[in-house]
Amino acid sequence: MSGFDLTGLTASFGGERVIGPLSLSVREGDRVALVGRSGAGKSTLINLIHQQVQGHSSLVPQNLGLVNALQVFHNVYMGRLDANATWYNTLTLVRPFARDSREVKALLEELAMPEKVWIPAASLSGGQRQRVAIARALYRKADLLLADEPVSALDGPTAHLVMKLLKQRFRTSVIALHDVELALAYCTRIVGIQDGQVALDEPSDKLTPADIMPLY
Amino acid sequence: MLSSPTVRTSLIFTAIALVGLVFADIAITAANPWKDLGRFFLGVVTPDFFSTQGLATALLRTVAFAFVGVALGSVCGFLLALVYRAYPVRIFCAFVRAIHELFWALIFLQFFGFHPLTGVLAIAIPYSGIFAKVYSEILEEADPEPGRLLPPGTGVISAFLYARIPDCWVQMRTYTAYRLECGLRSSAILGFVGLPTLGFYLESAFSQGHYSDAGAMLILFYVLIATLPLWVKPKLLPVYILGAPFFLGDGMPIVWGNVARFFTEDIVPSPLKNEEGWAGMGAWFGDLFINQALPGIWNTVILTQIALVATGIIALLAFPLISTHFGRPVRRTGGHVFLVIMRSTPEYILAYILLQLWGPSMLPAVVALALHNGGIIGHLIGRQSSSIILRPDAPTGVNRYTYELVPRVYRSFLAFLFYRWEIIMRETAILGILGIYTLGFYVDSAIQNIQFDKAMVLILITASLNIGVDILGRFIRKKLALQTMPTC
Amino acid sequence: MALNFIRKFALISMMALTVSATASAQTLVFTAIPDEDETKLVERFKGIADYLSGELDVEVRYIPVKSYAAAISAFRNNQVQLAWFGGLSGVQARELVTGSEAIAQGVEDKAFYTHFIAHKNTGLDEMEELSDELRGKTFTFGSKGSTSGRLIPEYYIREAFDESPEEVFSRVGFSGNHTRTLRLVESGTYDVGAINFSVWDKEMENDNIDTDAVKVIWTTPSYPNYQWTIRGDVNERFGEGFSQRVQEALLAMDAPELLESFPRSGFIPVANDAYEPIRVVGKQIGIID
Repeated sequence: MSGFDLTGLTASFGGERVIGPLSLSVREGDRVALVGRSGAGKSTLINLIHQQVQGHSSLVPQNLGLVNALQVFHNVYMGRLDANATWYNTLTLVRPFARDSREVKALLEELAMPEKVWIPAASLSGGQRQRVAIARALYRKADLLLADEPVSALDGPTAHLVMKLLKQRFRTSVIALHDVELALAYCTRIVGIQDGQVALDEPSDKLTPADIMPLY
Repeated sequence: MLSSPTVRTSLIFTAIALVGLVFADIAITAANPWKDLGRFFLGVVTPDFFSTQGLATALLRTVAFAFVGVALGSVCGFLLALVYRAYPVRIFCAFVRAIHELFWALIFLQFFGFHPLTGVLAIAIPYSGIFAKVYSEILEEADPEPGRLLPPGTGVISAFLYARIPDCWVQMRTYTAYRLECGLRSSAILGFVGLPTLGFYLESAFSQGHYSDAGAMLILFYVLIATLPLWVKPKLLPVYILGAPFFLGDGMPIVWGNVARFFTEDIVPSPLKNEEGWAGMGAWFGDLFINQALPGIWNTVILTQIALVATGIIALLAFPLISTHFGRPVRRTGGHVFLVIMRSTPEYILAYILLQLWGPSMLPAVVALALHNGGIIGHLIGRQSSSIILRPDAPTGVNRYTYELVPRVYRSFLAFLFYRWEIIMRETAILGILGIYTLGFYVDSAIQNIQFDKAMVLILITASLNIGVDILGRFIRKKLALQTMPTC
Repeated sequence: MALNFIRKFALISMMALTVSATASAQTLVFTAIPDEDETKLVERFKGIADYLSGELDVEVRYIPVKSYAAAISAFRNNQVQLAWFGGLSGVQARELVTGSEAIAQGVEDKAFYTHFIAHKNTGLDEMEELSDELRGKTFTFGSKGSTSGRLIPEYYIREAFDESPEEVFSRVGFSGNHTRTLRLVESGTYDVGAINFSVWDKEMENDNIDTDAVKVIWTTPSYPNYQWTIRGDVNERFGEGFSQRVQEALLAMDAPELLESFPRSGFIPVANDAYEPIRVVGKQIGIID
């Protein structure tokens, strides 16, 4: 159920077309890397997909969308606000239940930042904030992952750790990445975007970095 | 320079004020104004903290009314902010905040009498309107992204609590704390109409020339406001709010029949009550409008325009007192104390003091309004000017003031000034109660004559005038692209 | 969290209201128009409260108010049951509360006077009747709702000049009360003022007037003034014949220090009709609808 078809997709910004017309079909089990120059329309495409699946996805947007005043725990917990009753969510805001905090803590452990669970998002570094947004997506447990440059602020080893985790947890994903190495290593399919059009769409095992470079 | 819209607007307003001066009643009528002023200052420097029994109680009541009124106002204001998008709600809020606390108090006095509820509602109702507006502005500016990211099917309340409130929390808290300070001022002046707060004793002390007692009360009031951050701590707030209702005093019991009577009889225009029909109504309203409303509006508008420009002048003169670009720290501390005193003294009290000392005319009102509002704006732009970084070889002295600083702060100065335009008008109207012939004078007269029907019509006219000026002020700010944060 | 808070808040407010309502159920509360300095009023009426409470065997409490209208409203709203009113405020109050009665007036109130006083700089001298010399001067009444400080002087000004006070004088003010009228004319803030003769005489006796600065230039004909007015429903609340007992207590008051604080030489019975002339004048001037 996590695949989708997009046809005749267009998007304009300020009267200028930034996307399309474009068609993209993603099947269950596809791990798509969107590559291309910045401004090519990757972020717009991710947002369009998010709308297309009516929000039924784990989204990591480029600007992360964290609530700065809330603690890391609550930012992660927000991924599943729909799963619980209002009174439960409200109580959680005042005092989280042990079950939830255990689960969130475990997630943060995997992302190598367990000690930050009760710290407000505002006082985190860029890399930590990015991992909180990823933790929220993981906690959400949707079938489809949509991520826009999810590891741009992370150092090499951490980036690999996160990408591995994302691969493990989501069977289907669309990830915008500017790092070609990571794209080839963790994705099954490379979609190159150029001027709002699909310029390349190949399984990653058929490609080398050199094939992708012309897109940049 | 004349081509700049901000300069042109300033000149137009100055010209209006100058024309207004021709018609205004500006005079010192007291025979020995300086002697009285001297006696007053002598009283302030020789305060007598122990002569009035009940001074401590009055302070306690002042704080209690402020806490209960502001707490109730902020809760209601918050709920209204949630539905602020609805047009009727906006109109309702604009309307309740256009009526001054003292007018509300005068209305409630007629049917609740000297019951704590009178004072609490007099603060809570106009404050709800103000809170609703500001809270909704703050909520609207919150980052929408987290809300967009929530899983579909998230409850409305959960979404609001997680994605909206936390980001706005600090701003809302700051604003509410700021309003609490305003609430203390409002609470203090409610004493002037008979509630058991500071104004009650201040009025007595003043009218009898007990300046040392009055000085003591003023000093305690300043200390109360200046130390606000020290004794109002987030952790203690629930204690204060839950405790405050017990310190309002007992007053007199409410007789609910009076409430019904007020709305079904007292405020029904007398021609309708006496079955004179609509013809009688026309004559009644015409007489009221020509003999009371029109002169009241005329005086209110003139006084407001003069006070507005005077406020601007005071603010521009006062801001260097606290700006880091002028003077040594010692002088700046002096400037801070001066501005704190100016802005902590409610216009009403300042006007009352000056009226006692200088005799009745518009002058005390203009000076009071200009000092209080000029103090507030001077403080705000002074603080802003301190954050400006000048080039190392920037000119000094007057040149620094005219070339470097004033041009840089002028836009926000105008923004604050036009924001306070409506506030100045609201206060101008209310100063009529002290005997200046603005709208408040006629409202007070109608109430003194037990003609609540006339009083209500005049209050409604006052409210409409305020709403009109508010709209005009917003239009000018928009036209000049001036932005501002709310001040009280 | 917020809901819980509102509930607690409402609960506590309700508790505070009930407590205050029950506490004053069987207390006779009275007030008086604030026609003089407040300290003097509080002093005077604390004494009266003690006296009445001794005579009537109920708790008696005085509450000070800030305006004539507030005194009338409190009486009308049954928050006070007894009040020391002026002529005009008494008429207004009794018109609003059916069944209320004027029960006692001061001996001096049967024929009360208002003095017009002037600052010496005006050069005004005693006059037979209000003359054109007053034109263009500044003038202060007492309170807006006062009989001796506003209603009667305004009536005679209108009668003498056939114009409103605002047209006769260059500036018209309301000082608030008689003591303040005296101070404002004495200091020259206003040229001329209207003051009740009883306050003038008392201040004179106590040597509180600078006679070099201010003097009486005209005195009105006599009119009925101050009186004690009681609500008609006190008998139901405090027992049969209560109204009469209050009247008797007031008439029997003979302690010099109590009487001097008013100052009155004693109290005599009075009825509502005695104030008909005041009502007529009030209507003429437009203060009474």
